[in-house]
Amino acid sequence: MSIDLLQEHANNIISSGQVDCIIGYEVGPRQWTRPAFIYEPDEVRKLVWNQNCTHNLTTYLPSKLSEEKERVAVVLKPCDAKSVNMLLAENKIVRQQVHIIGMVCNGMLDDDGGKQSRCIACSQQKPNVYDFLIGDLDTEAIDSTSLNGNKFLAEIEELLPPERAEFWIEQFDRCIRCYACRQVCPLCNCPTCLYERDDSLWVGMKTGIKEKRAFHLGRAMHLAGRCVGCNECERVCPMEIPISLLNQTLAKELQAQFDYIAGNEVLLSPIIGPTLEKEQKA
Amino acid sequence: MKFISSHELIALLQNILNEQILYAPVLVGGVELYQEIEHVEDIFWNFTRPGKSVKEVVFPQTETLMVIKESDKNLTVHENISNEKTVIFGVRPCDARGMQALDSMFFHTDPIDSYYAARRNNSVLIGLSCSEMLDTCFCTSMGGMPDDPSCMDIMLTVVDDGYLVEVMSDAGANLLDGIELSDKAIDKPKPPIQSVVEVPEVENIQNIFASKLWMQEGERCLSCRICAYVCPTCRCFDIQDENLSSANGKNQSIRLRCWDSCSSHAYRQIAGGHNPREIKADRLRNRILCKLKYYAEQYGPQACTGCGRCISACPVNIDITEIMGALMEVEAI
Repeated sequence: MSIDLLQEHANNIISSGQVDCIIGYEVGPRQWTRPAFIYEPDEVRKLVWNQNCTHNLTTYLPSKLSEEKERVAVVLKPCDAKSVNMLLAENKIVRQQVHIIGMVCNGMLDDDGGKQSRCIACSQQKPNVYDFLIGDLDTEAIDSTSLNGNKFLAEIEELLPPERAEFWIEQFDRCIRCYACRQVCPLCNCPTCLYERDDSLWVGMKTGIKEKRAFHLGRAMHLAGRCVGCNECERVCPMEIPISLLNQTLAKELQAQFDYIAGNEVLLSPIIGPTLEKEQKA
Repeated sequence: MKFISSHELIALLQNILNEQILYAPVLVGGVELYQEIEHVEDIFWNFTRPGKSVKEVVFPQTETLMVIKESDKNLTVHENISNEKTVIFGVRPCDARGMQALDSMFFHTDPIDSYYAARRNNSVLIGLSCSEMLDTCFCTSMGGMPDDPSCMDIMLTVVDDGYLVEVMSDAGANLLDGIELSDKAIDKPKPPIQSVVEVPEVENIQNIFASKLWMQEGERCLSCRICAYVCPTCRCFDIQDENLSSANGKNQSIRLRCWDSCSSHAYRQIAGGHNPREIKADRLRNRILCKLKYYAEQYGPQACTGCGRCISACPVNIDITEIMGALMEVEAI
């Protein structure tokens, strides 16, 4: 049983002092699954693994490690583990300080109890990076993640540019600038967000359509080649804006142009990051 | 009780729409929201608890307080006080009580906020009793009821073929002026009620400032602002001046007021960069204690009406009812 093994392993690493904290999942009083932070051996019985473990816990890693925690363990799905690779590539975390409990994943459920659309398009069972793997692999299945699986995205791509612009303006219009998409994103980690500077130098604080468009399109560009498609931005949006379609569009472009998929290995985005030495000389 | 048929109600709303601004529940991109409508047909009648409260009708998320213009060697300041007559249809009792809580600060306590007061004085609330309590609703724990008419101008309750009508204020009576309401010999249906959450008394919330509870609950908080922005009583704002581009070379700027939230890191940051609420636990503690204690001590009512929106919308299941339960236990020790 995955949960038994998870709790047993968690107990081992926390009791032995191998890690100071384990970031995993628990079930709250409403029976809703949510992130959990474990510090003591007697807390490990709270840890669960189920098809509602949709949160990408990587987002808590950099701040937890900055709290003078020597080593932190984190429970990760294959999609989440890709964001660890991106954080490693961008020097946001140190590999030796992170103990990854990789979970074999068969997909997460949406609010209606069906498999999430991103999970239907993905059949990757095993994380690309882990220290301890839990779960049984289906050896018959082939690991693959398709960016072409989203029917909704295909429909948007079929639209003429003015129609597409109209579609997005309508979506952005609902945005309340709560910044949940940014806060939940493991790769949205600028110390001061461009869209929320006190001096309003680039974008004002209004909830006008211009400001909201600038925020969403700008955020998508800043995540080009960095977004690993964990879909957290879209899940948390209280206004149900299909934010991930923007990221997926850019991800497809990068795959076509550079044969690059963010997070498959510890590699910087080919379009955002430090320039190569020969480029600097040129 | 007084009764209005469904088609009479639609005619009334059409009349309102001909002369005033009408906000009503609509369905936009799959989300229930209160919005200004142009046609009565736009109303989404099967609404439950719209994603945001009606707060923004009287306290908009973005508001131009004044326009500042340069003319010759003078600056002229135009204050932007709204005097538009507005009716809000389909207000839920939790939101109406939320507006009453906002009134305590914005215009029952000096200094009166003239921008809020103008909007509030020009607004008429037509309430609609809830036919169900959602699983996150807890208005009954906060002193409300799913059919509570007390903060409305007119309260409607669905019955066969129409609505029972309770006229609660002069503004409500004026709106119905000239309309013949029939009498129906039936009682108001019993409201749907679900289990009550225990709420700590304001004066009993003490010695919990240093509780470990805040660290435990705050750890998974994302410091986003969903809870504050969907809340019927969160009312913090930021003010900034913005320059407007002008073709004639004259300077023009606006003074803006926009919603803000104490859950964000920058909210409490002060000059020099120090932040008294540096960590998430500090910020969560402030939000919860503001709702249950600080606001009540300063302005009278508790700043939570049990609408439950923050519980449903929180991406990481931070649950004010769970925290209230934990606060009760802290007291017991």
